[in-house]
Amino acid sequence: MNWCLYLALKQLFPTGKRFSFFSIMSIIGVALGVMVLFVVQSVMNGFQHEIRQTIIATQGEARVNANNGVLYNADSLGNFLKNQSEVAALARYAYGIGMLEYNNRSIFPIIKGIDFENEIKIVELQKFIKKGNLQNFDNRSIILSSELASQIGATVGSSVEIYSPMMLKALQTNEIILPRTLKVVATYETGYRQADENVAMVMLDTVQDLYGLEEGVHGISLKLKPDVRPEKFAFELNKNLTYPIHAASWQEINKDLLFVLKTEKTMMFFILVFILLVAAFSITSSMTISVIRKTREIGLINALGGTIRQCEACFMIQGLIIGIAGSVIGIAVGALILKFRNDIISVFVKLCGIEDFMLKFYSFANMPATYQLGDIFTLVTFAVVICCLAGVLPARKIAKIKPADALRNE
Amino acid sequence: MNDYIVELKNIQKKFENVFVLKDVNFGIRDRETVSICGTSGAGKTTLINIMGLLEFPTHGNIFWEDQNVIICNAKRLSQMRAKIFGYIFQRCNLIPELNVIENILFPKRITSKISMPDLELAKELLQRVRLGGFENRNVWTLSGGESQRVAVVRAMINRPRIVIADEPTGSLDEKSAHITMDMIINLCREYDSSLLLITHNQLFAKKMQTSYILNNSELKPFDYAKSEQ
Ligand SMILES: Nc1ncnc2c1ncn2[C@@H]1O[C@H](COP(=O)(O)OP(=O)(O)OP(=O)(O)O)[C@@H](O)[C@H]1O
Ligand SMILES: [Mg+2]
Repeated sequence: MNWCLYLALKQLFPTGKRFSFFSIMSIIGVALGVMVLFVVQSVMNGFQHEIRQTIIATQGEARVNANNGVLYNADSLGNFLKNQSEVAALARYAYGIGMLEYNNRSIFPIIKGIDFENEIKIVELQKFIKKGNLQNFDNRSIILSSELASQIGATVGSSVEIYSPMMLKALQTNEIILPRTLKVVATYETGYRQADENVAMVMLDTVQDLYGLEEGVHGISLKLKPDVRPEKFAFELNKNLTYPIHAASWQEINKDLLFVLKTEKTMMFFILVFILLVAAFSITSSMTISVIRKTREIGLINALGGTIRQCEACFMIQGLIIGIAGSVIGIAVGALILKFRNDIISVFVKLCGIEDFMLKFYSFANMPATYQLGDIFTLVTFAVVICCLAGVLPARKIAKIKPADALRNE
Repeated sequence: MNDYIVELKNIQKKFENVFVLKDVNFGIRDRETVSICGTSGAGKTTLINIMGLLEFPTHGNIFWEDQNVIICNAKRLSQMRAKIFGYIFQRCNLIPELNVIENILFPKRITSKISMPDLELAKELLQRVRLGGFENRNVWTLSGGESQRVAVVRAMINRPRIVIADEPTGSLDEKSAHITMDMIINLCREYDSSLLLITHNQLFAKKMQTSYILNNSELKPFDYAKSEQ
């Protein structure tokens, strides 16, 4: 073994003492930083993954639409899309804002018309249903999100009235179109706010009727075969589509949200990295003190045939060892915490007596967490580099030591 | 031509414009034993630090077997320190993080790898300084005399050509000083090393073949036999 490494290890873990206070404290400091970063990043990854899954589960992987206008030749476009080898399923949809009224209470949700038979091949509607069931769904019924239902006090079985902007237009020509009465057959919750807050679902022809679209739709949502990358698929498909018809992957449709999620993760990293920086500063200061304390020893090592450079290397290696040990312990403890995260949370929640509260606002019964090797790699590299840098200042102090003077030092 | 293995020629050393050494010429022969005495602050430590390649003179040259070492780079110098010299200082000779045997073998670790014979030698030397069984003791549990004897063993482990001892018994009581000193002299004789000793103790100085006195920045031969008459 190289003697610099040997001495570095001995200085961190001296023979005859079980541990050295300095090294244990330094390693714990780094481990804490790494652990917190690792856990927080994994949980954020988990939430992100969950959000992505929910988006795909509620929206499909890609959509083709006419620049938000009405698409009248949906059938031929549908046939064209069906012939693409990457497409697994497709469903037409149309939507509009309408007024829903029940017991004199009214709301203005987005009314989404779905091509039910095909839609269920793309979106697992059944999974999101909270009350009622889908068997009775027809063009005289409506599915509300739980939130909408509670806003107007409707339940499964209630009859709600729906008014569309068409009715206002008709008034101008002194016509009167009566509101459509629809029966609530089910309520749903996806866990994805945008969908849960404001969307009611009806049959496609109901919407076409309400908004005077005739055979027109607003777009076609697609489910792709496994292993097809939506972004690439949309890009390739667009080469064969003419304006205004445009294909968009779910990533493109939700790019603002995805950007926010990504920024959030990066910012979190930058904030938490300060834990590591603080740990590094304390390593630097205690190592500097130990250099001063060991001045005579460094002179001695020099007399025994070591160069000053090698003594510097010895201190840098100490930083490296602390970095590596701290990272390994941090990741290990972090992984343990993640493994038992739900137990930890439930104990915490019980201790604080906020069980009901938590369950109401977060579905913390299963907190998501996934770790990516890339993240771990970045994190560990970062920690190790910071710790090595922490050794630089003490090493520079050593460079100034003159062996003869060091030996006179008492 | 003399037969010095290390020779200092016209050495001058100044600290902040004050001469500590003024034109010193000095050398040591193979297997020779030399003592240097002088008042405190005379520059004895400075002189042997220069000889031991731990410090550079302000002026003058150092020759190792007729090669001028002043022009050597730091790496070469440290190799020479490890191979040629064995150092024993007055105190704090040992590295506290290492135990006795690790301290002894440390110079070996710096120059090469540790092999079985080295371990055997270390154990044998420990036996010789009456520290058999102390191999795994922690250094902070040793008495002053014991630490010095460990330092003696460490100085011998690379079989140095020259052992440099700067008041090795300065912090010991008289009895253990005598014991330690005899061990140093015997081991040097046995392992064919020259010995350069700084001491205030006349009894020890008398045991050396050659004696010098450092006075007023100058080094002069000193004959104890004559001075007693
Ligand atoms: N780095 C330095 N800067 C300035 N002066 C120094 C330095 N090192 C040594 N000196 C001075 O050089 C002189 C000689 O010091 P040295 O240690 O060689 O004396 P010594 O003969 O070994 O004394 P002692 O017997 O007390 O050990 C002293 O006056 C000391 O103050
Ligand atoms: Mg001295």
